[in-house]
Amino acid sequence: MNRQQLFEIANSWFTNQDWKPFPFQKDTWKAFLQGKNGLLNAPTGSGKTYALWFPIVLNYIKQNPNYKTKHKKGLKAIWITPLRALSQEIKQSAERVVTDLETQMTVGIRSGDTTTKTRAAQKKQMPDLLITTPESLQLLLATKGYDKIFKDCQAIVVDEWHEILGTKRGVQMELALSRLKSICKKLRIWGISATIGNMEQAREVLLGPASKALENSVLIKANLNKKITVKSIIPNKMETFPWRGHLGLHLLEYVVPIIKNSRTTLLFTNTRSQCEIWFQKILEKHPEFAGEIAMHHGSINKETRIWVENAIRNESLKAVVCTSSLDLGVDFAPVETVVQIGGPKGVARFLQRAGRSGHRPGKESVIYFLPTHAIELIEASALQKAVKHNTVEDRIPYLNSYDVLLQYLTTLAISDGFYPNKIFKEVSETFCYQAMSEDYWQWLLNFLVMGSQSLQSYDEYKKVEIEEDGKFKVNNRGVAMRHRFQIGTIVGDVNLTVKYQKGGYIGTIEEYFVSKLNKGDVFTFAGRNLEFIRIKDMQVHVKNSKKKTSKVSSWMGSRLTLSAQMSELLRNELYSSGEAMENQSVEIRSLAHIFERQRRESIVPQPDEFLIETFKSRDGHHAVFYPFEGRFVHEAMGSLLGYRISLLSPITFSLAFNDYGFELLSDKPIDMQQVLDNNLFTTDFLLDDLQKSLNATEMARRKFRDIAIISGMVFTGYPNKGIKMKHLQSNSQLLFEVFRDYEPDNLLFQQAFTETFEHQLEEGRLRLSMERIATQKIIWKQCEKPTPFAFPLITDRLSRERLSSEKLEDRIRRMAALLMK
Amino acid sequence: MTHPIQIKEESFQLHYSGALFWENQSLLMMSDVHLGKISHFRKYGAAVPQHALLKNFETMDVAIAQFDPKHVVFMGDLFHSSLNKEWELFEDWVGQKKMQLTLVEGNHDIISPVKYEALGITITPEFSLGNFFMTHHPEEREGQFNFSGHLHPAVRLTGLGRQSVRLRCFYKSSVQMILPAMGEFTGSHTMAVTKECEVFAILGDTVLPVQVHGRKA
Repeated sequence: MNRQQLFEIANSWFTNQDWKPFPFQKDTWKAFLQGKNGLLNAPTGSGKTYALWFPIVLNYIKQNPNYKTKHKKGLKAIWITPLRALSQEIKQSAERVVTDLETQMTVGIRSGDTTTKTRAAQKKQMPDLLITTPESLQLLLATKGYDKIFKDCQAIVVDEWHEILGTKRGVQMELALSRLKSICKKLRIWGISATIGNMEQAREVLLGPASKALENSVLIKANLNKKITVKSIIPNKMETFPWRGHLGLHLLEYVVPIIKNSRTTLLFTNTRSQCEIWFQKILEKHPEFAGEIAMHHGSINKETRIWVENAIRNESLKAVVCTSSLDLGVDFAPVETVVQIGGPKGVARFLQRAGRSGHRPGKESVIYFLPTHAIELIEASALQKAVKHNTVEDRIPYLNSYDVLLQYLTTLAISDGFYPNKIFKEVSETFCYQAMSEDYWQWLLNFLVMGSQSLQSYDEYKKVEIEEDGKFKVNNRGVAMRHRFQIGTIVGDVNLTVKYQKGGYIGTIEEYFVSKLNKGDVFTFAGRNLEFIRIKDMQVHVKNSKKKTSKVSSWMGSRLTLSAQMSELLRNELYSSGEAMENQSVEIRSLAHIFERQRRESIVPQPDEFLIETFKSRDGHHAVFYPFEGRFVHEAMGSLLGYRISLLSPITFSLAFNDYGFELLSDKPIDMQQVLDNNLFTTDFLLDDLQKSLNATEMARRKFRDIAIISGMVFTGYPNKGIKMKHLQSNSQLLFEVFRDYEPDNLLFQQAFTETFEHQLEEGRLRLSMERIATQKIIWKQCEKPTPFAFPLITDRLSRERLSSEKLEDRIRRMAALLMK
Repeated sequence: MTHPIQIKEESFQLHYSGALFWENQSLLMMSDVHLGKISHFRKYGAAVPQHALLKNFETMDVAIAQFDPKHVVFMGDLFHSSLNKEWELFEDWVGQKKMQLTLVEGNHDIISPVKYEALGITITPEFSLGNFFMTHHPEEREGQFNFSGHLHPAVRLTGLGRQSVRLRCFYKSSVQMILPAMGEFTGSHTMAVTKECEVFAILGDTVLPVQVHGRKA
């Protein structure tokens, strides 16, 4: 069959559905059938799955002309999805294609949810089309004889590549692809990504820089030009609108008419606990919604989630309160309206969420922005501009993640073993490890085999062995078993299963939250009031309770920050507050009284001004700085400045950050004049100072935790049987200290610092903003009390960092009192 | 370096290593050394820096040199887990010691008592002397004072400007004293502090009595 005939098959299928293929779909079919690799830039719900399932199936038809009567078995294509929750949806669309085209192809899913029975069956006979996650793909590489499973595979599609790209799962994907390229002779690699700033780089990371695969590839853009309307919810009485807070419940009544006037509404919250609270409160205030609204977040059990997703599809729900769990996949045509509660922190995310509404091609998307505190209205205004100008941020890929590489090498060693020369060549062709030297490679091999760089006496280190022919292999079953349990680079807090005492799975919850509960405590989770009974074998046992409670389950792992692009827009909006009313956006205008108060007590900085405020409170001496550069840059700048000030005289700081500025709090006053006289904002010795400031804070320590787990130095335990988080936490903490004291040149220890630098602190952005500040006039205001700008910062009690140049003894002598709770 | 205290009219010295010395009996208590822990981790594929294991022997030597005791009592969890090559280092270490050695068994001590006895170490669930008794797990007994370990006690100190710091400590109530863990690669547990207890924090090479003031009891 020639290409024209194949296209005919696809076109007539579309005609039968009363659809017409989009140009981007046809372009993708063509490129795929020509044997090209590529990156498809298409948003969720645009028909992107059909853009790639079709050519995969058509290719099979082409190679097997008697496809209707004969079935050629074996794996032909792999579809990678970052969320296993999406796999059902993807499977359905694949099944539709293979059945309607009368092939006998089979479709299967392999993920953490797949039963042992199905896995075993798959091992004997893989489905033709396999839908899986990056972790499960690694697990397949940990299977003996994996090369036979993959050898006839002709395509791998990495869906939602933008979500995976900037994470260590992205690195994991790069490594898996580097192996598959060698095993599968006719492999086509495709990625699907929503719009991000660094589209070209995304393609390069997927296919490998300077690779043949990249040479033979295309970038296809869907260009659907969807119209998006953003509406801010502005309270009638701005005077009583709070200055801080993150829940936004004050505006609950404004949401009710939106829900009522729309077919289906999605309310996006930023955290799972916020999601729980909103759901609870809507029902409390408006019981008439009972049965018509639901909740969806990543910690709720799968059955409930699937039920909610189906209910959205068949329009039996008026509204769903959700988190990023509904950001991806799942085509919800009936969704008419989207409400974003609190700042989305990034334009791409906001656009993606907006795109959840008016999902049908050509329809307008409507998104409401609901601010949770007054200052967030500035962000709302900035978002309007961002949407108008289509400003989108980059996703930064990781470089030199030695932890992921060690994990990968161990994976290969437990299946069929590996020969270093061959694998080094593959690995050095990936984006992540393109600059890795042979010395470092040798270091990693030594580490795998000896647990150090030379043989030591009294040592019994055991992991990977070198066999006589030079093959690296794990022969110890215990090592192999522990490693299999540990594959996966998403390291969050340890999750515990929440179950009724009598049985019945409710969801998962982070140990850090559970650790605060006592027997008999009642907390809200998954929309229910539950009484805590005990923790046993990584399970939280609970029973239903009628008691009222203010304890809402919370999760740590979801802190977001403003991107560089958003920050700039935000500053511009702020500056506009000084302009004539008619030049201001409605959001900025509504904040007039706050700006007025800020001006009365301090100033609202203009483009050429940099504001510092100092004041004293019961907590100590506060110094607040406002670069308006986003949380991460503030973390870096705060540590840097804190470090430089601490060189002037011994002092200890508690640091707080948000997207607008940072605070240095200490028990004695800072001599601000001296700070200004000594030009502490200089970019001279920036790198050096930043590095030293890192040693003075805890940031690298926290990064090390993930590295220790990924590289297999800390064992997270068996599912349902593991050691508690407390052991894990103290282990990686202890480990950090032992490395610091005994092996500070260890590559994994060093990696903790590099990562903090590149991914946490965004050193590049820091330099740019310091340069900007250098051109500004510094205005130091000594205030009586916290200003409207300072208020959200100084009240942050949770996420503080510490920095000290004092001798511990001196600090403790001053802490004369041990305060009790 | 050391801090003197009186309990039931007997004199004791608290040492910054975490060891506790009973003057009249010339008896040195050391708790939760967890020898073999680093080797145990390495044996299971976790590459903890191996050099760190020598530190445990050095720490014990420092404490012994300070007091030159006639009797050393290990307060349990002397070895972290099953036998490994660190035992050979321990054998050499014991070989150089002249004093009496006693091990009060802890929950981690699963190595056969025969091995200890072969080195001349007496192994016992608890050890009593006069009004004092030593156990691994903290216990309370009428009219008796208890020395124990097991908990790896630490204390959190707080101050102005939202500062706080955690230190290993000796934790004393009217009926018992819990010793800090001496081992290098061992964690610690933050104790709740009440008005009834006394806390001696370890800060570098000093032992610092902590004043316990309460906002409310």
